[in-house]
Amino acid sequence: MKCAIYCINAVLLLLFLSTTFSCRIDNYAPPKETLRGRVVNAATGEPILTDQGAEGIRVRMRELTWTATTPENLDFYCMKDGAFQNTKVFKGFYNVRVDGPFIPIVRVDMNGDTLADESKNIEIKGVTEIEFRVQPFLKVEWVGKPIVNDGKITATIKVTRAVSPEEFQAKIKPMGNYNDNMLNVTDVRLFVSQVPYVGYREFDNRYSTIINYIGNSFEPLLGQPITITTQGIIPPGRTVFIRAAARINYATEGIKRYNYNEAIRVDIPRK
Amino acid sequence: MKLRYLVLLLGLTIGTFTSCRKYLDIPPKNIIQDKDIFSGEKGMQLYLSLMYSKMPFEDFKYSPARGFFDDWLVTPGTNEGSSIGRDAGGAMTSEGWARNGPYWTMAFSLLRDANYLLKNLPKYKSNFTDAEFRDYIGEAYFARAMVFYALAKRYGGVPLVTNVLEYPKYPAAKLEVPRSSEEETWNQVLADFDSAIAYLPEVSPVRGYSNKYVALSFKSEAMLFAACVAKYNKITGLGQKTKVRVIGFNPNTAMAASKKYFEEAYKAARSVIKSGRYALYMKEWAPNDKEAQYKNMVDMFFDISSPENIYLKEYQYPYTAHGYDAYNIPRQLMGGNGYSAGNCPTLDFVELFDGIPKNPDGTIKVFDDRGKYLLFDHVTDIFANAEPRLRAYVIFPGDNFKGQVIEIRRGIYTGSVVNGIDPLRTVNGVTDYSISGPANYNQVDAYTGNGAFMGKKVLFLSQSGTQHETVTLADGTVMNAGGKSGPFTSDRTGAITGFTVRKFLDPNLPQSLVLEGHSTQPFPLMRYAEVLLNAAEAAAELILAGESTFEGDDLQAVANQAITDIRRRAGADPLTGLATLDTIRKERKKELAFENKILWDIRRWRTQHSDKLNGSTQQDGAYYRGLYPFYSTKANKYFFDAGIEESRKLFRFTEQDYYFLIPPGEVAKSPVIDQQPGR
Repeated sequence: MKCAIYCINAVLLLLFLSTTFSCRIDNYAPPKETLRGRVVNAATGEPILTDQGAEGIRVRMRELTWTATTPENLDFYCMKDGAFQNTKVFKGFYNVRVDGPFIPIVRVDMNGDTLADESKNIEIKGVTEIEFRVQPFLKVEWVGKPIVNDGKITATIKVTRAVSPEEFQAKIKPMGNYNDNMLNVTDVRLFVSQVPYVGYREFDNRYSTIINYIGNSFEPLLGQPITITTQGIIPPGRTVFIRAAARINYATEGIKRYNYNEAIRVDIPRK
Repeated sequence: MKLRYLVLLLGLTIGTFTSCRKYLDIPPKNIIQDKDIFSGEKGMQLYLSLMYSKMPFEDFKYSPARGFFDDWLVTPGTNEGSSIGRDAGGAMTSEGWARNGPYWTMAFSLLRDANYLLKNLPKYKSNFTDAEFRDYIGEAYFARAMVFYALAKRYGGVPLVTNVLEYPKYPAAKLEVPRSSEEETWNQVLADFDSAIAYLPEVSPVRGYSNKYVALSFKSEAMLFAACVAKYNKITGLGQKTKVRVIGFNPNTAMAASKKYFEEAYKAARSVIKSGRYALYMKEWAPNDKEAQYKNMVDMFFDISSPENIYLKEYQYPYTAHGYDAYNIPRQLMGGNGYSAGNCPTLDFVELFDGIPKNPDGTIKVFDDRGKYLLFDHVTDIFANAEPRLRAYVIFPGDNFKGQVIEIRRGIYTGSVVNGIDPLRTVNGVTDYSISGPANYNQVDAYTGNGAFMGKKVLFLSQSGTQHETVTLADGTVMNAGGKSGPFTSDRTGAITGFTVRKFLDPNLPQSLVLEGHSTQPFPLMRYAEVLLNAAEAAAELILAGESTFEGDDLQAVANQAITDIRRRAGADPLTGLATLDTIRKERKKELAFENKILWDIRRWRTQHSDKLNGSTQQDGAYYRGLYPFYSTKANKYFFDAGIEESRKLFRFTEQDYYFLIPPGEVAKSPVIDQQPGR
């Protein structure tokens, strides 16, 4: 009996030793290259403001150096100012594309044939910088300063098209299944949050407001000041961040994404 | 001496391995061979048991959080909006996230069993009668149809493996099967159900086996799913690796496909109806007798001989029992494992039914014209005329269950009633019933002594089932603020919406047996009411597609008849006007709640993300409501407060979630398996 126990112990010890004293360590160098860049409006050079998360701008890298199988999608998301940075990239040759609230840079038709491909094939080595010049659907701007009254914030915004309907049609129609309703602005929102990273992924639904527009009813409001007020009552003394957003009835990569303006801080006065 | 042994050993070795006769070349005796299992009825019973144990049935062992074959915390209804519970409530955006993982990884085992049977059983045909052989082949097709259906409704297009993949005989490339298009997948589901229907007998030869009508019924359900995806789905795309349309239909052919599937759904459901073998359960039903109609709808789920049962999942103690009673029992009847009220119906669900005082917008009427609470002599008065079906599904405050009055009360109001009682959800004088308002009654002025109640607390609540604020009544009795079955301020084991579920709860199960793994009531996987609703929905869709008759039937008449019959049995208001698609969908949401059907219906209708729910849509995050009873000591009456439920279970769902993610590991390790486009 005792012998059996010793035997088992010996075997366990051997197992333990063989696992911990492996002959070789994982000596592959960690990824240390950096990919950084921006997504900007091709016409004006302004950054595309976005949400931080899957509903914002997605950066998709595919390592082309790897040929044994189909390359994996390595996804990460833009920051809210349209900039992105990944500091843990293996050195290599990559395809990089971005998808967001703008005309898709990779456009395929109903049969999967490529119509246009403005993605970038680049070697990532050291710090590699790239810039995507895209055509956003909408431009959202603040008009004047928001007003606080009894815990409610009233802001005025302006929504304009950043790409003309003709150009939208020229680029989207060949992709198939097109209809003119895609150009309609469906909703305008005022997001409220306690943190500066306010957007679709981070908003307080007690205060945030949504205005829906049926069909093309937003058309006459394009370029006009729109007044939008928060819901509920934000307690006095609270600091919040607000941001307006609008979107059209068109989904890129399965998601109808918002174009945003920049987040601003609002202090609700103490009583 | 030693040499002699060595020579002997050498001789033996050479002798054994170089023998011309294959003494040792026999199959191992301890492994059951095809010839044993395919030897006759007994062997096949084993094989079919194995298959049925892996069947993707959404029964008392299924929950979105834990997937199939897991009987813990089973609260059907909590992801479809019919109810919420302490441990569940929220939109289904994935499956098996709490445990067991996605169905994708377990589906292919049963698929192989079915394919193996189809391939190998014909070699042993002589061991069976013709009827037996046809039955087993039919069972294999039925299993395969159920697997492909379960996969298709989760993932869209899937690898259509329809033969036995031999490993390691086949080279790796032959073992890799890419996802087919979603349309091809639904066509395979259709073909397999049709094969099953052709082979299966009219009556199950063994209790629990499927039969022709089971297959027809599930076919109608599956084809409705396919047709709705073709018609309502908006997201489609091609796989990155294969360029195959793995989700959605080609927009150019989608409408034609949708119509084809609606026709198939209609034909299948009509075949079941025309067979005359099934009927709505009416054993205890009597006209104009709400009590009998209510009792009829409670008992129908416990009567094994009900003519409404097309397919039941039965359970047996101790081997396969489940825990539905233990998890969902009202708080005051809590069993030994300490669970209760896991399935609290939402007010939104209750408001779908007839016989309730309602406002013009369909919400429950709790205020009078001055905006003051309506007062009721008894807590049961507000639901006194409720539709019998609703009573059979939901326990109201003050209802009887297992010989006890189920005490559901949120609190006691001791304030003045001279000028009526103002809405409770008021903080610092501001009344707000939206999401911005108070989430819990311990924040309101009447409780905190602010606003109109400055310095004078008039609302009393219970913290939990054991910590109560109490009020001494005029007659000297001391009353707990909260009811024995809740709802409570922080402990969510009570009726958190003001209701608890009655459907499926065994009214005769002794208290000592309200335990996990002790319940044995059957689960209705398929019942006649659903077939009627399937036929009605397919008919209404075909009417919208421009047909008025199909196969000699007047489609509108078929739809009207189905809804009329179901409403009559339920004791609901009779159908007025035509049974439109909206009427039929609403009827379905009422009749089939808590049966893991609505969960998928709102997905196939593609309405889950976009339907308005208390001011928001689920794609922006939405909440359900509850109905909270309060007792007024001054009036000696009850009043009800309706509003967003206190636990604030967030339902959030985006369009992408109509298709579950393919497990990323499966995508990464395969050169051909595509992730959902856009993800």
